[in-house]
Amino acid sequence: MGQIKAGAIEKGMFILEKDIPYLVTEREFVNPGKGSSFVRLKLKDQRSGASLKITHKSQDNIDEIDVTEQSCQYLYTDGESFVFMNNETFDQFEVPCDGLEDEKWFLIEGDAYRVVRWGEETLGVKLPPKMDMEVTEAEDGVKGDTVQGASKYVKVGTGLTVKVPIFIKQGEIIRINTDTKEYQERINK
Amino acid sequence: MTIENLHNRSKILQNIRDFFNSRGYLEIETPILSPSLIPEPHLDIFKTAHTHPFKNSREAYLIPSPEVWLKRFLSENPINVYEISKCFRNSEQSGKQHNPEFTMIEYYSMGFNHKDTMDITIELLDDINNKLSFSKLPKKHREMEMDEAFKLYAGFSLEQNYHINNLKDKAKDLGIYTDMSDDWETTFNRIFIDIVEPNLPKDVNLFLTDFPSDIKTLAKNIDGTQWAERWELYINGIECGNCYTEEANPEKVTNYFKESSNVEHHVDMNYPLLFKKFPKCSGGAIGIDRLIMGILGIDEIQGVILFPYRDNI
Repeated sequence: MGQIKAGAIEKGMFILEKDIPYLVTEREFVNPGKGSSFVRLKLKDQRSGASLKITHKSQDNIDEIDVTEQSCQYLYTDGESFVFMNNETFDQFEVPCDGLEDEKWFLIEGDAYRVVRWGEETLGVKLPPKMDMEVTEAEDGVKGDTVQGASKYVKVGTGLTVKVPIFIKQGEIIRINTDTKEYQERINK
Repeated sequence: MTIENLHNRSKILQNIRDFFNSRGYLEIETPILSPSLIPEPHLDIFKTAHTHPFKNSREAYLIPSPEVWLKRFLSENPINVYEISKCFRNSEQSGKQHNPEFTMIEYYSMGFNHKDTMDITIELLDDINNKLSFSKLPKKHREMEMDEAFKLYAGFSLEQNYHINNLKDKAKDLGIYTDMSDDWETTFNRIFIDIVEPNLPKDVNLFLTDFPSDIKTLAKNIDGTQWAERWELYINGIECGNCYTEEANPEKVTNYFKESSNVEHHVDMNYPLLFKKFPKCSGGAIGIDRLIMGILGIDEIQGVILFPYRDNI
């Protein structure tokens, strides 16, 4: 564990606040015209999935967590936990579903992920910025609807609902931004 | 930045100039390179050097605001003036509201106090809304005292809990991080920035008035109180402007210079002598780029300036 100044915190870092590990999801600098600088942070409790807003003076000392990233295969879920396997040691471990509320929409059985761990505890799964996923449920576009930009909702294999252009059909592969969960483009294979 | 927004930016600047010119204010230009600055311990400045081929070079600084020269001018020429100037602030990490180089207007009105400057600033915002059809600035204005803002958004009266120990207790009650070494101003700012500022009304042009005098500035104190004759302007929740009734008492200015001398630039300790004949006046300053963000409805400063600063080119 190392200490850093709050002003050096970046989005995506893991820090400790009152002994709870948090992922930094937003960071905004505030410089009052007549005062010293502050940072407003939005943190995600990696155990409960709850978020927390907190303000620090840029000079405050913050505990940064030394995390390790391991290549792991996602195996399955029993509804309460997700089960992963470390690709080097073949050790299997469970992660409570609550801690991966956002990531769960992108977990595909058998795929490899970068898993962030702090000792024995899993703090998160690092998703690639974009993922290609198959459309498993889609209604046909409304006939005669030629309005540009018309859209509809489809489901992909993990159950995530995505807003897409009207021409997307079931069975097609679409690229999704994992941060915003928004449709990016159709992938022609 | 789009060509359309460049046109709009140009129209906004012309409108601001027309507004002040038509009211008899003189536009002046003062240096942005200065051998000394007014000490403001919280501001990091850009330092350079004025070199000499055979003698030692001397430090010079890019101004964080044109105040240092405008006040020197006013001590000799007590007339209504404004300046639209490039300003520079270091160490403020780039973000949606910050660029190390930005444009600011400062306007000084003789015989005015901070409330009079508020009136003319409201006139300016109304004028922009009336003359520029694309303006998205709120139509309404609201004045709110700092103490009222604390009551509304922090749930307690700042005036009645002014002592640092009370403030620290309140911060703890609100779950706000504090540190043993925090002074009064830091404790105030922790609460203000954590819970008060984010909740300020966004559907009006908000004039937040009567700041604590424990935040040391060159604003005149309201006699017999812990408040200073000062306001800040918030547009869409973003701080865009600042105004003082200017402190004109040379002893008080000298004290400010002595108390604030822990800065990393040269301070001219003779500067307070200018205030031996300084006019009663009030100065306002508005960040032009942030004002344009409000007028155009753009939420990033990078959308209203050409070539936002980047380290990697």
